[in-house]
Amino acid sequence: MSDTAEPLIIGSVAYTPNVVTIWEGMRDYFATTDTPIDFVLFSNYGRLVDALIAGTIDVAWNTNLAYVRTVAQTDGRCRALASRDTDVVFSTVFVSRAGAGFDGIEAVRGRRLALGSRDSAQAAILPVQFLREAGIAAGDVELLRINSDVGKHGDTGRSELDALRAVLDDRADAAAIGLNTWEAIARGDIMAGALGAFWTSPEYSHCTFTAMPSLSDERAEAWLANLMAMDWERPEHRAILELEGLRRWVPPKLDGYRGLFEAVAAQGVSDRW
Amino acid sequence: MVNHGLLLDLVERLAATPVGSTVELDVSASAAGGAAASDASSATSATAASRAEEAAANIDLIARWCRASGNELAEVRAESVVVRHGRRRDPLALLDPSQLPGTRLWMYTNFDCNLRCDYCCVSSSPQTDRRALGVDRVARLADEAADAGVQELILTGGEPFLLPDIDEVVASCTTRLPTTLLTNGMLFRGGRLERLRRMDRDRLTLQISLDSATPELHDAHRGPRAWERAVGGIRLALDEGFDVKVAATLPADQAHEVAPFTQFLGGLGIRPENRVIRAIAHEGAADSGVELTVDSLIPEVTVTAEGVWWHPVAATDESHFVRAEIFPLADAIADVRERFIRHREAADRAAEWFPCS
Ligand code: SF4
Repeated sequence: MSDTAEPLIIGSVAYTPNVVTIWEGMRDYFATTDTPIDFVLFSNYGRLVDALIAGTIDVAWNTNLAYVRTVAQTDGRCRALASRDTDVVFSTVFVSRAGAGFDGIEAVRGRRLALGSRDSAQAAILPVQFLREAGIAAGDVELLRINSDVGKHGDTGRSELDALRAVLDDRADAAAIGLNTWEAIARGDIMAGALGAFWTSPEYSHCTFTAMPSLSDERAEAWLANLMAMDWERPEHRAILELEGLRRWVPPKLDGYRGLFEAVAAQGVSDRW
Repeated sequence: MVNHGLLLDLVERLAATPVGSTVELDVSASAAGGAAASDASSATSATAASRAEEAAANIDLIARWCRASGNELAEVRAESVVVRHGRRRDPLALLDPSQLPGTRLWMYTNFDCNLRCDYCCVSSSPQTDRRALGVDRVARLADEAADAGVQELILTGGEPFLLPDIDEVVASCTTRLPTTLLTNGMLFRGGRLERLRRMDRDRLTLQISLDSATPELHDAHRGPRAWERAVGGIRLALDEGFDVKVAATLPADQAHEVAPFTQFLGGLGIRPENRVIRAIAHEGAADSGVELTVDSLIPEVTVTAEGVWWHPVAATDESHFVRAEIFPLADAIADVRERFIRHREAADRAAEWFPCS
């Protein structure tokens, strides 16, 4: 079916070996459609966004911070195409020792709060914004910044786990981490004896496929139609969807980036890495 | 005391582990991990019993997390666990449905034979003990077979036509399932011919051994005039209206024999799908041939008078012995399948330890 069509080139960051499996699965799927793809893996989001802007790739699979920075670097000319269902309902969770008695974001006043890597939207940039919105000033809380992922690929999961370790080790009273990391560990009540979530932020948006205007609407729409047609009920699709952490692809929720744009401006986070 | 920090280590390590691969995690009382640091002093003074209790609690925590997260607790060792990222591939699901162990049931009716082929995989000969399975056990196996998922019965030996009740043995199978009977085809005379004639032509396939288009190669392995009598047996069985398969055992250096042989079989009237060519296995009387081990061979459930075996090609090789208890057949098949899964998993783990680079 796809013998003659030029493949769309998608870029992604290789933060785990499973990224190869995911994109090979995606390439196999799109080979059965009229919009074949190929993929290029990058070692970090800085390189990925450079390649998108330079036209080396047609589409970048961006985190929310990478998207916000792409918007800044392109004066808003880039376009978000699609996200995972889990990306449009993302949130940040504040976690403490079980039984610590914390009952809301206010409870961190005067306490030690562990944050993930400084380039983590969910575990550093947005938590600071949430504190600010709650009227908790910089001096009201002792921030323990754990930059264990800085300078690496840009996936900040490791630093979020380190923030939880800080709580277990009593180096911090609470940690701010992404909902995905918390759910990966807690799986219901498995951490009940040790850790508990005491505050969940409003929902915001996370990863999204990002394209430049050089990708025509026609090509983008044809590709998106095939992307959205991936079906959880079909085992061969489900294997890929499960690995990528979604049940279905959805249109991006642009409102969900507003808080991050504001946080980046307020904290003076640079446009580049 | 449970060490919840272990879960953080596990999540971190699995994130960096390809799906399908495993990580080993220390779950002993002195294991690293977030909470362990503050417990270190108590761990050193802990008694052996409390250490064991803590390790058990840690294993329980990890087991619950694995269940909830769709990862697999692949192995529990003394002070560590092996966790697979994601679910294991089901080795049975990866097989072609026709290869699923227990789809066919092989039965060795007896081990004695009128021939003494030099490559015989079970060392049969006129001097070999009969070790007959017997019509009662064959009938009971055939009875249980369909319910156990078996779709075809295969009777082999030795030479089955040496048995005075081979017609009853065959009938106890053909009344239940399609059946194939392996024979050297040399004994279709007198009472034995009468027994052949009593067999159900609609449900039975005769598989007759013939190695070459001319007598030399066949007789070199199987004895003087064996070729002539086998060809006679094939012709007779066809004339009698039986479906006849011909199986050749060919040494690897005799590939040039294949083309004239298939032509010859065409001339005899053997349909292309009824022609089988096998390699010599290094089993039984054969002093060389393909090496077959239980971990390299997809099993074909095989029953002899001694019990259940991995594969008919090695039904006298102790390393292929599965169990003495034949009944219930479904249990025997389940046992073979479980062993197959274990072998495959061990092979997968070995492949992870020795990457191809
Ligand atoms: S190979 Fe067959 S015919 Fe030859 S000795 Fe063995 S059982 Fe008999």
